[in-house]
Amino acid sequence: MSRRAEGGLVDRSKPLRFTFDGRDYQGFEGDTLASALIANDVKLVARSFKYHRPRGILTAGADEPNALVTLGNGAYRTPNTRATTVPLYDGLTAVSQNRWPSLAFDLLAVNQLASPLFVAGFYYKTFMRPAWFWEKVYEPIIRRAAGLGSLSIQPDPDCYDREHAFCDLLVIGGGAAGLAAALTAARAGLRVILADDDMWLGGSLLGERLEIDGRQSADWALDRTRELAGMPNVSLLTRTSVFGIYDGCEYTAFQQLSNDGAPASEGTPRQRLWKIIARRSILATGATEQPLVFGGNDRPGVMMASAVSTYVNRFAALPGRRAVVVTCSDSGWQSALDIQSAGIEVIALVDTRATEHSLASEVSRRGAKIFLGARVRDAFGKTLNRVEIELIDGSIRSLDADLLAMAGAWRPNIGLGAALGAKPVWCESLQSFRLADTPPGLVAAGAANGHYSAAAALTDGVAKAVEQANELGRSITDAPGFQTSEQLASAHQTWGTSSSRTKAFVDFQNDVTDKDVQLAAQEGFVSVEHLKRYTTLGMATDQGMTSQLNGHALLAEATGRTVGEVGTIRARPPVRPVAIGTLAGMHRGMHFRPTRRTASHELAEALGASFVDVGQWKRAQWFARLDEEDWQDAVNREVRQTRSRVGICDVSTLGKIDVHGDHAGILLDRLYINGFSQLAVGKARYGVMLREDGHVLDDGTVTRFAQDNYYITTTTANAARVMQHIDYARQVLWPELDAQAVSVTEQWSTFAIAGPQSRALLQAAFPDVDLSNMAMPFMRAMRFRWNGYEVRIFRISFSGELAFEVSVSAMVGDQLITYLFEVGEQFGVIPYGTEALGVMRIEKGHVAGNELNGQTTAADLGLGKMMSTKKDFIGRIMAQRPGLIDPSRPALVGLKPIDRTDALRSGGHLFAEGAPFSPANDQGYVTSSAYSATLGHSIALGMLAHGRERCGERVVVHNPLRGGDVLAEVCNPVFYDPEGNRLRG
Amino acid sequence: MILKGIGYVDEGLQIEERQNVAFASILARKNQNGETIGELIGGSLREGPLTTILGDTVYIGTGPGSWLATSSTKATDFADNLATKLAGRASVSDQSGAYCVTRITGDRARHLLQRGVAINLHPDVFTTGCAATTVIAHIAVVIWQIDISPTYDIATFRTYSPDFRHWLAHSWRSF
Repeated sequence: MSRRAEGGLVDRSKPLRFTFDGRDYQGFEGDTLASALIANDVKLVARSFKYHRPRGILTAGADEPNALVTLGNGAYRTPNTRATTVPLYDGLTAVSQNRWPSLAFDLLAVNQLASPLFVAGFYYKTFMRPAWFWEKVYEPIIRRAAGLGSLSIQPDPDCYDREHAFCDLLVIGGGAAGLAAALTAARAGLRVILADDDMWLGGSLLGERLEIDGRQSADWALDRTRELAGMPNVSLLTRTSVFGIYDGCEYTAFQQLSNDGAPASEGTPRQRLWKIIARRSILATGATEQPLVFGGNDRPGVMMASAVSTYVNRFAALPGRRAVVVTCSDSGWQSALDIQSAGIEVIALVDTRATEHSLASEVSRRGAKIFLGARVRDAFGKTLNRVEIELIDGSIRSLDADLLAMAGAWRPNIGLGAALGAKPVWCESLQSFRLADTPPGLVAAGAANGHYSAAAALTDGVAKAVEQANELGRSITDAPGFQTSEQLASAHQTWGTSSSRTKAFVDFQNDVTDKDVQLAAQEGFVSVEHLKRYTTLGMATDQGMTSQLNGHALLAEATGRTVGEVGTIRARPPVRPVAIGTLAGMHRGMHFRPTRRTASHELAEALGASFVDVGQWKRAQWFARLDEEDWQDAVNREVRQTRSRVGICDVSTLGKIDVHGDHAGILLDRLYINGFSQLAVGKARYGVMLREDGHVLDDGTVTRFAQDNYYITTTTANAARVMQHIDYARQVLWPELDAQAVSVTEQWSTFAIAGPQSRALLQAAFPDVDLSNMAMPFMRAMRFRWNGYEVRIFRISFSGELAFEVSVSAMVGDQLITYLFEVGEQFGVIPYGTEALGVMRIEKGHVAGNELNGQTTAADLGLGKMMSTKKDFIGRIMAQRPGLIDPSRPALVGLKPIDRTDALRSGGHLFAEGAPFSPANDQGYVTSSAYSATLGHSIALGMLAHGRERCGERVVVHNPLRGGDVLAEVCNPVFYDPEGNRLRG
Repeated sequence: MILKGIGYVDEGLQIEERQNVAFASILARKNQNGETIGELIGGSLREGPLTTILGDTVYIGTGPGSWLATSSTKATDFADNLATKLAGRASVSDQSGAYCVTRITGDRARHLLQRGVAINLHPDVFTTGCAATTVIAHIAVVIWQIDISPTYDIATFRTYSPDFRHWLAHSWRSF
């Protein structure tokens, strides 16, 4: 064990068991998986993406590029998880990735030998011929050799939810600047949300030996956390990553609520998606220490110096015994002291700067040799055992060490803010990019704003909170101030690599070396965006937090420009990896989208219905009986029995709209091609609406219930569109009309009662009303009360039979349909579904959604004569365009197979007999088809050029998609009872 | 799952499905407004996303010149009676069959709703007498606040009510 006896924020009284690659280990509450591995002397934790090089833990946070592991087993398996961000829990199981047969001995490490081939873009150049080899051979091999963890390929057993939040000030990041900003704003009464990736607030304060207001920085952070937690106007979101900024001051974040890789307690989501609307926000995401580029800088044992500080101070975990510190910044000196204080021997401190340092005597007093103006040339060992440094005089010195702490310059974490058009600019004094402009409402504070020392970050956090409060009209006069111990924060990054003999990595996660960047520049990829695509620099889970700056600086060097001239990339959300499940939330499986069930749904289920999705609706498609072999048997029976006796179908899904007002009739005259202002009260009429461009929009019936009240129906599919169309007409086109419209689709449950016994059934059900042909002829409507509820009966037929539609409040829709089936038993009533409904409407040549497909005109559908010449209506002028009145336009026809055993299929195209099947000879297409149980053969409706004049002609129905060409006869689209005697009976 | 008519009772949160609630939509006729319509029923209907309580009826503003009236009185006559009273000034359509109502009350009610509602329900912004026509989990809802407990009524279209219950159960169980 390499755990300090005391100190740190781990709770030694709460040991936690975990396994890594099958071996048992123990850590403590407060550990991350990474700190627990370090405390257990596990140095090798991963293999790299391309070269399968051994890798260890580089950082202590979300910027970790190396230590990606797979957590959990079975369906809970969670790949590519950063060990540095996973709080340790009892029973955690983790395994390493991208290695075979084992982490210690990985056969694919042989890739390193072939590394001259595997330079950036190698497969674009190498695997070009033969072309078909790419998909079959090259790509599968490359995919197997490269990559990280793999998914479980099982349904995700976790659940996810979401929440919406609103605040005056969102503080992103709970380090020194974030805590200071949140405290300042919260004490002034602002509604504050403070979000941080970590399980505790404090950021780097948790891992530093620093005093604030006389308290250790970690204790100070915990005190301030308690203070904030006690304030009603503050929400603290820990383990929460803000990952995107959008228009309207909208921020998205996800919060980890249970552990990855293990079952959560009942009902606890794994993650919650937050949508936060913040009037103002402060980006206090800190800064990331940058690696130095030298040979072997990726070896296990080479770590970021600040991460080493965090491990020894916060987690009391010792990553080595003999350390070398290489730095170009003051914080590296501070880390050296941290390492020494933790009991690790620092044998050498290498500063690439040649200037004397104020901490030199103290570091030296504790036994470290100081090398100024020197640099690391190479690091060696599968896990680090030797470091070669090049001194200021050019001589080489070899040092035995198992830990190399590297401290490059710091880079503000501005990814989140470099969005919505805000572009980072180069800052010479910071040696990094910073935000010049920011998304609306957001400002950067603290280290994210280039104020790296805790003192400066605290001051900046307070100042930015005061500034943001001012923007909201709140003046803060008693802003807090904080006293801190001294901390130095200057840096001078040296970008160039020394004459390393081994590979020097720029992007650890994507195995991009300094040579790859130089090669990209040499091959003309001189823009940072091209560099990124060509080399994959800055991609994947760490989003280049430890690689971009070095990569861009090396590109600058290779192209003879300054880093400022080269520039940096802009960011897009998400800046942190987000699980798809978190974005989906509860909308998965059956609940992918909402479903609508009619009032008869439960009864239909009891009657054995199979349901079909029609938009959001669940509609009964057919009601198969046990003795029926397949669905076609059930549909045939439903058609025959409805035509011979009586059937009931739930048609509640049709759109229904109440139109009121003194000018309701005029409005309808203008909406439909036919007239309604003269329709008598109590009568119904079929109507067709056009779009402005002259094509048919929808059809349905219009019933007049009062002088100033019409009730109209639409097709199921177009219900919302027609409502929108009517509202547009009455609110925008003709606001002068006194006409109101409201959807009543949900109000009414409607059932079609069809068949020769339909009148007898209804008369038995409602003995007090007169449903005789005299009192209730075709296209009449009536209203009366049943059990106190209004019932509306319409004498309307879609099936072609004597038929009625009965509507009642959806409150009692289930009661009415149950009652109708009870009463109907004596008449042999059966339920029928949408399939039988479709068969019967095709038999009658009624157009439906397939024919109202947005390409047809009223004339195409044989409804041209309905177009009034006495009034204006929407679409009238455009319907007269030459293209829309061309006599050769496809018109509605019926089709029946010459060989009656053939099946006609929708989608087939129509050709003259003997004509080659080419687009030039295409004469139309089949819109709807069905097996007609009534006629005993297949029938179809279609659109055929010059269709009306071609009755009796033969055409070929060509269907290359579904196979089989069928010879068919063109006929009248009304196959059944063309005189309409049955429906008037 | 919540059973029909049976609510969850938990510390800080009660959920109840209200039964037999009457609804009617009211649309202003030309040149009429909340004031002129309200005259006929002894008050003035507030315009905007607000409620007006007159007698045993709550009038919820759902759009310009548009209200949803709701009452616990006998559903079968509610719309007819209202239509008679408002004749000439507003058009009334019965919507009692169209909506189901869920009442959510208690300290955690706001928090629960905020898991579905993307508008701000903080009492500084949304309080007793406020209403909203919005969506929860892709389901259209009308929400109005009854009291400062807080208590909210949420009307959803009847055909969506099983899915709304699913959202409720999903969001509630993680408390």
